Amino acid sequence: MKRTLPGYLAIAASAALFIGCQTAPKDEGIIVEARDAVSRAESDPDISKYAPTELTRARQFLTNAEGAAKSKGARSPDAAHYAYLATQTARIAEQRAHEQVAMAHIKAGETERQKILVSARENETQRAQADAQQARAESQNARAETQNAQAQAAQAQAEAQRLAAQLENVQATQTDRGMVLTLGGDVLFDSGRASLKPGAQRSIEQIASFLEEHPDRRVQIEGFTDDQGTDDYNLELSQKRADAVAMAIIQRGIEAQRVQATGYGEQYPKASNNSAGSRQLNRRVEIVVGKDNQAIPARQPPVAP
Amino acid sequence: MITLSGIRNAIWCVVAFGIVACAATPMPSDKLAVAKSSVDRAEQAQAGQFAQGELTSARNKLAAAQAAADKHDADVAARMADQAQVDAQLAEFTARAKQQEQLAAQMDASLDDLRHEAQRNSATAAPPAPAPQSPPPQ
Repeated sequence: MKRTLPGYLAIAASAALFIGCQTAPKDEGIIVEARDAVSRAESDPDISKYAPTELTRARQFLTNAEGAAKSKGARSPDAAHYAYLATQTARIAEQRAHEQVAMAHIKAGETERQKILVSARENETQRAQADAQQARAESQNARAETQNAQAQAAQAQAEAQRLAAQLENVQATQTDRGMVLTLGGDVLFDSGRASLKPGAQRSIEQIASFLEEHPDRRVQIEGFTDDQGTDDYNLELSQKRADAVAMAIIQRGIEAQRVQATGYGEQYPKASNNSAGSRQLNRRVEIVVGKDNQAIPARQPPVAP
Repeated sequence: MITLSGIRNAIWCVVAFGIVACAATPMPSDKLAVAKSSVDRAEQAQAGQFAQGELTSARNKLAAAQAAADKHDADVAARMADQAQVDAQLAEFTARAKQQEQLAAQMDASLDDLRHEAQRNSATAAPPAPAPQSPPPQ
C-alpha cells in the first residue's frame, strides 16, 4: 500500500481546491481575520459581561484554527474552518451583548417609567389633597357664615317677638317683608283724628327703644282705614296717621331715614267692612320691622275686587 | 517473505483499519440535526427580516452539508453543518439584538413623551413657583 508522489500531489491539490470553494478569503487571511474578531470582542467590556461563554468558545475556535494552521498548514481545511467558526462566534458574542445591553436599557427604562408615574401620581395626590383641604376650609367658612346668619336671624326673630309681646293690643305676624306689628286704629287715634292718643305713647316708646337697640333695623309705618267716607279722605287720613306714628318715633331719637310712612286708605282690608267689628279690624296701623339692614320691600298691589 | 500468518495479520489490519475509518468518519447526522434546528430557531427569531444575509448563508451551508452527506463526504458534511450552525446562531442573535434595540428606542421615545407630559401637568397644576431670589448685592 504505497502511494506515489503524484498521488499525494493530487490529494493536496484537491484539498486546496476544496478550501478555496468553501471559504472565500484564502489562506492565512481568514486566520488573521479571526484573530482580529476575537481580540475586538475581548476588548469590549459589554461582551465580557454579557457573553462570556460565546467569547470563550470563539477563543477556543481560534486556538483550534492556529493549531490546525501549525500542524496541517494555514491552507488546510481545518484551519480555515476553525478560523471561520472563531470569527462567527465572536460576532455572535457581539450580537448577544448588543441584545443584553438593549434589554438592560429597556429594564432601566421600565424602572424610570414607574418612577415618573409614581411621582406624577404623588403630585396628583398632593394636589388633590390640597384642593380638598381648601374646599374643606371654604365649606367650613361657608357653614360658619350660614350659622352666623341663622343665629342673627333667630335672634332678630326672638327680639321682634319679645317686642310684640311687650306691646299691648298688638298682633305680630311674620311675613316675607319682615315682622308685621298690627296696632288697632282705635287704640292710637280718636275717630277721624290723626293725632296720637296719650295711651298710644307707651307703644310708640317701646317701638322706639327697640329701634334704638337695633340700629340696623328699619321700620315701615302703614296706615289703613275702613270703607266709611270717601277714598280721598280715607287715603289722606291714613297717610296722616302713619306720619303721626312715624313722627312720634323720630321724635324719640330714631333717624328719619330708618322710618317710612305710607297711607293706604281703604286698600288692603283685613276684613269685609260689613260689620262694626270687621270695620274696626280694618282701622289699623301696621309697623313692618325689617329683617336686617335692608330696605323693606314694597307691598304688592291690592288684588282687584 | 510472505507467510500465512503474515497474510492473516494483514487481513486483520485491513479490517481493523476499515472499522477505525468508519468509526472516525461516520455521517454527521447529529451535526446536521443541530444545524437544522439552529436555522429553524433563527427563522423563528425573524432573522429573515432582521438578518437576511446571515440566514441565507446558514441555509446554503445546511444544503451543502446535506449534499455532502448524501455523497458520503463526512468531513465536508460536518464542517458545513458546523458553519451552518454558527451562521444560523449569528442570524438569530443579530435579529434578536436588532429587535431589542428597536424596543429600546421605542422605550426611549415613550419615556420622553411621558417626561414631557408629567412636566407639563405639574407646570399647569402646581402652585406658581416661588419668585426667583434677587441676586446678592454686589
